[in-house]
Amino acid sequence: MVISMPPMAVEFEGIHKIYPDGNIALRGASFSIEVGEIYGILGENGAGKTTLMRILYGEIKPTSGTIKIFDHVAKFSGPWDAIKTGIGMVYQHFSLIGGFTVAENLILSALPLGISAQNVLERAKESMEETGLKVPLEERINSLPVGVRQRVEIVKALVRNAKILILDEPTSVLTPIEVEDLFEVLKKLRESGLTILFITHKLKEVKAITDKVTVLRKGQVMGTRRTKEVSELELARMMVEREVLFSLERSPTRPGNPLLEVKDLWVRSDSGLPAVKGVNLSIRAGEILGIAGVQGNGQKEFVEAISGIRKPEKGTIKLKGEDITDLDNSKVYRRGLAYIPDMRSMGLVMDIDLVSNLLLTRLEEFSPDGVIRWRKAVEETKSVMKLFNVVAESVRTQVRRLSGGNQQKFMLGREIARKPDVIIASEPTHGLDVGATEYVRNKLVELRDSGKAVLLISTDLDEIMQLSDRIAVMYEGELIAQGPTREFNLEKIGLLMGGVKVEP
Amino acid sequence: MLGEVADLLFGALSPMIPLVLAGVGEIITEQSGVVNIGIEGVMLLSALTSGVVAYFTGSVFLGLLIGTATGLALGLLHGVLGVYLKGDQIVVGVGVNLFAYGIAVVTLVTLWGTYGSSPQLPTVPKVEIAGYPVSPLLPVSIVISIAAWYFLFYTNYGLKLRACGEDPRSAEAMGVNVNRTRLIATLIGASLAGLAGGHLSLDWVGQFTKEITAGRGFIALANVVFSKWNPLYALVGGFIFGFFDSLAIYLSITSMNPSMAYLFKTVPYVATLLVVAAFMRKARMPPSLGKPYIKE
Repeated sequence: MVISMPPMAVEFEGIHKIYPDGNIALRGASFSIEVGEIYGILGENGAGKTTLMRILYGEIKPTSGTIKIFDHVAKFSGPWDAIKTGIGMVYQHFSLIGGFTVAENLILSALPLGISAQNVLERAKESMEETGLKVPLEERINSLPVGVRQRVEIVKALVRNAKILILDEPTSVLTPIEVEDLFEVLKKLRESGLTILFITHKLKEVKAITDKVTVLRKGQVMGTRRTKEVSELELARMMVEREVLFSLERSPTRPGNPLLEVKDLWVRSDSGLPAVKGVNLSIRAGEILGIAGVQGNGQKEFVEAISGIRKPEKGTIKLKGEDITDLDNSKVYRRGLAYIPDMRSMGLVMDIDLVSNLLLTRLEEFSPDGVIRWRKAVEETKSVMKLFNVVAESVRTQVRRLSGGNQQKFMLGREIARKPDVIIASEPTHGLDVGATEYVRNKLVELRDSGKAVLLISTDLDEIMQLSDRIAVMYEGELIAQGPTREFNLEKIGLLMGGVKVEP
Repeated sequence: MLGEVADLLFGALSPMIPLVLAGVGEIITEQSGVVNIGIEGVMLLSALTSGVVAYFTGSVFLGLLIGTATGLALGLLHGVLGVYLKGDQIVVGVGVNLFAYGIAVVTLVTLWGTYGSSPQLPTVPKVEIAGYPVSPLLPVSIVISIAAWYFLFYTNYGLKLRACGEDPRSAEAMGVNVNRTRLIATLIGASLAGLAGGHLSLDWVGQFTKEITAGRGFIALANVVFSKWNPLYALVGGFIFGFFDSLAIYLSITSMNPSMAYLFKTVPYVATLLVVAAFMRKARMPPSLGKPYIKE
């Protein structure tokens, strides 16, 4: 008896990727994708999804392992080889030229394949008719909503004869209605025989649209399932399960008065979409509130609104009982709030020295009349460095020349030395080694013990579980769950981060 | 009165040529995302080299050719420093301007022993139209503008070139070689500025002086803004700015008070300032203009 194997579109065999900086992104990923499937690839930030797709698209080379496309070993020296083989990629950030019309973009993108302008437009119209993808050819990209731009990217891939379409977190920029439209389009594309790789961290979407799903965690394949046969719970478990690195000493909390209160806060993102949708929370003295969630679910806009960097659209923010909703950041900081941003390049000016960086957020202390007291500032810098174990040649060393851990410790120390009452720490240990991570986490617990309120934003679930007295999960701009830490476990947070609401 | 108006209008045709040539060249360069404010220096140096070549060989054509080649060479310098080595394009442009002025003075002294101007040079033969002498470079510059317009907006290569000025990252993702395209655009632009320089010494003035460009490179830059980066409008802008040039010459010749003549010489510059101030706000420049393309 002959068993006929279904034809394979893509086969990954033992893909390893070690970046030059030693970061291991993939540890032997192997799985195969059948022709005509919508195939989900699920994982958290840093699970290796994007690295794997960039390898498939020829943008980066694997350290070892092979890829077969339609049964032929693929050796790509760049994306153009991939495109010629029939692979199309739609990134989260589109590669379209904003000032050009849709038609111009399509023509330009097909030029290297030797397809004439006339031919491009004919093909575009054909594939639009076949799949119901409608894009206005004569409009400029800049005047189109994001959802339509994404369609242009898909049409672009079709015009280039894509047989395999990769969509990297395609719904992260879309409104719910646009997501539904996209799913309709994807189903039609599947009918026409296209193979679709759907990269996501959202469990709901995996269930809604994919035929099969592979879960990646820390560069390894945790398993492949038929979507129909797997529960969201199982997927969540596969996505987040891990051993805890180290534990922290924490005394029981004795929370005091609420220091930060947020009521019905709405904030828009840079692209004008609602990013925070009606968030309510309150943090008391002597308490750490941890907000978990996959990056890009509104956390950044949320903390920027609280710290006065971004104007909220609606809602109130109270700091120690005082309404600070409309104050700008310098006034907010002066009233006792400290914000430690997730990018050190945002909290520190890399090309100037430590003292100057200290001065930047604390000018009124060291130059009450507009003249800088350098000696006082240098002393303070030294004391921050000593208190927070910052290793640097001198206070005059460029911040750029410090290690990431030392930069983080300095940024934290600078803010804490101002004696704020409310500290917002966004990804405070991202990219730090184990020692520095432990140090920073201990400091945050110390602050809580001394009666401060700490708002911790982190995509690292261990960190959230270890540090928080209370946990909230942010998903698509909403806090979809909030409660004491004992009511949560990794699995539950994993589900919530994937957008599945669970009852406690 | 009517005769004077005709004089003024026909008088604009000569000053218009360098503004159109250099302006159209700069439009091509800027559409690719490179700004070359060194075209003043390119024009000066090209005016010098074409003058020197024509002086020693007697060939105007060879002079213009060498002037264009000088532009090409300076464009190569600008392209290598500003495109491939990611240098600051403004600084490179200023450098070329200063360099050109220095070379011009040194050459004048070395070759002809003067600090001001060269001896008379052979010039392009004029064609007579309605009693006014018109340079054959005028139709040449008109043809070049129309060709540039067609090239930029109706050909594949023009599409690629403009993509580099709009969004180099996306352009590259769509298969455009951004750096090479920008270099070529810079070469074309500087070559046209070189031809404009040759026109100054071998067509319009008939000798080389160290102030022969008198800021015309910068007026050509103003023409780029006026024309909204469209070579066809650059023809109109060239004529308008050329008219003010012609007006300044007319006013200083006919003025009774010789000291007033100096004041009238400011007319083209003041007019440029006003026109740019009026048009700058409405202009949409290529979004990536002047930004080196650095890959991740």
